[in-house]
Amino acid sequence: MRTVYKRELAAYFRTPTGYVFIGIFLALSGLLFYLGNLRVLSGDLLTFLAQLRLLCMLLCPMLTMRLISEERQKKSDQLVMTAPVSLAAIVLGKYLAAAAVMLLTVLLLNVITFLIAVYGTLFTGEWFVGYFGFVLQSLAFVALDLFMSSFAKNQIIGAILGFAANFFLWLVDLLAGQISVAWIRDSLNFISLYQRYEAFQLGQFSFASTLFFLTFIAVCLVGTVRVLDARRFSEGGAA
Amino acid sequence: MIDIRNVSKRYGTVYALRDVSLSVEKGTVLGLLGQNGAGKTTLLNILTGYLAPTSGSVLLDGRDVLLEPEEARRQLGYLPEVPPLYDEMTVQEYLRYAAELRNVEKRSIPGHVDEVMELCGLTSMRHRLLSHLSKGYRQRAGFAQALCGDPEVLVLDEPTVGLDPKQIVEIRSLIMKMGKGRTIVFSSHILSEVQQLCDRVVILHDGVVKTSLNLKEQGAQENGNVTLLATVGAAEKSILPRVKALDGVVKAEVQPGRHVDQTTMLITFHGLTEPERRLFALLSGLNVPILHLSRQNGNLEQLFLRAISE
Repeated sequence: MRTVYKRELAAYFRTPTGYVFIGIFLALSGLLFYLGNLRVLSGDLLTFLAQLRLLCMLLCPMLTMRLISEERQKKSDQLVMTAPVSLAAIVLGKYLAAAAVMLLTVLLLNVITFLIAVYGTLFTGEWFVGYFGFVLQSLAFVALDLFMSSFAKNQIIGAILGFAANFFLWLVDLLAGQISVAWIRDSLNFISLYQRYEAFQLGQFSFASTLFFLTFIAVCLVGTVRVLDARRFSEGGAA
Repeated sequence: MIDIRNVSKRYGTVYALRDVSLSVEKGTVLGLLGQNGAGKTTLLNILTGYLAPTSGSVLLDGRDVLLEPEEARRQLGYLPEVPPLYDEMTVQEYLRYAAELRNVEKRSIPGHVDEVMELCGLTSMRHRLLSHLSKGYRQRAGFAQALCGDPEVLVLDEPTVGLDPKQIVEIRSLIMKMGKGRTIVFSSHILSEVQQLCDRVVILHDGVVKTSLNLKEQGAQENGNVTLLATVGAAEKSILPRVKALDGVVKAEVQPGRHVDQTTMLITFHGLTEPERRLFALLSGLNVPILHLSRQNGNLEQLFLRAISE
């Protein structure tokens, strides 16, 4: 697993992917910070982080689209899939590499925390809970998009599936409000990432939400392993 | 060493492989021969655990490649049809990665990779990016990757396809070198290549094993017949009757040629291990020069054609 993780992480920074992702994420969050905070002289970190969800939804598929689809397309997966490594280790290695890039981005995002601390008032507890929730949520997006991209052989399709899943989970919230059948509404609310994040957004640490996000990530990863395993049966090489 | 048991692979309603059973003993070099689309790649992909069979199983040294992947694949090196390279890595990084994947002990990885690079003639390219390598070197890098971890079983899918003649010779000699003490399965549609490298050949056609043949025992002879191709410096009229009259000759046929004063013949002998001696004695007695003389390996060719036309 470490072997796969190290290779994938290095690949992010050998190719433009890692730089472009981090660069664009930080540039756009800087813009959001200017519009939402600097312009109106607000030190509200939590609202700022909540808005960043949109960026996650848009950019996470970029991070995960190559992990599985690219290997499949180039057939370089034949090395790792025939090596004495379990599928679970492969998937976990790939996920952790993408997660590491995400974490690095979030770490760099703390320039904004610094600005607030210097020119305004920073509440440490608020900062911690806000970032903790944001990290969980973005790691959940990474896991979901990895899972979605495992269905596609083409990177672009992998990314589109990722966007679609991200948006669906976002819309689920609005959809739930329109549905009168109690059990459907409840189950939609249950899977809504937005609702789970709400507590963090209010500055409250939620154990239930933490557990939900972790479970969500685990389910996505197990799903990815299952998809790759099933493909051994359904797919064929050229003749 | 390798035990393929009743393996079938179906895509929808199409069978790529149908009830293939095959066992390969330790130290054997097995050639998998078949036309394009015969199911060679599918079989090799199943053998290495990249694909799962619809039914049947594959055992490597008694362990199932799918059920015990970590144990079974420990002794497996695979060069797929397209070398599985990561373009952004250098040759050395890539091979170290492959060695690490195959559980080579951390401390011995640099030395091991150096050895493999030396063996495959990649040492001068070690710091090149894989994306900058030519096709021949990419193939070598793929081959080197398969050798990492010193696996007992090597599976090579058409290792010489698309290479230039010099590279083909190099890759073949590499296979011969590797063949000592290892079990090798490789696929090809080039008959002479299989004949040159293999102990055993299996002919696959439409997903079915048609023939399995032990080349070592059989040699190039079938029913004790040996066929020679000879071009001699004499007109057909004067030489053909003499050859036909030679003791041991079963059949002599003239092949079309451009020169009037030269004759090219296919001569089949029976019951002789070295018919070249007898032919030479005849021709030197007649003072007829031999312009070309070679043994025909028509046997495998005929076998192949027979197998695929059934």
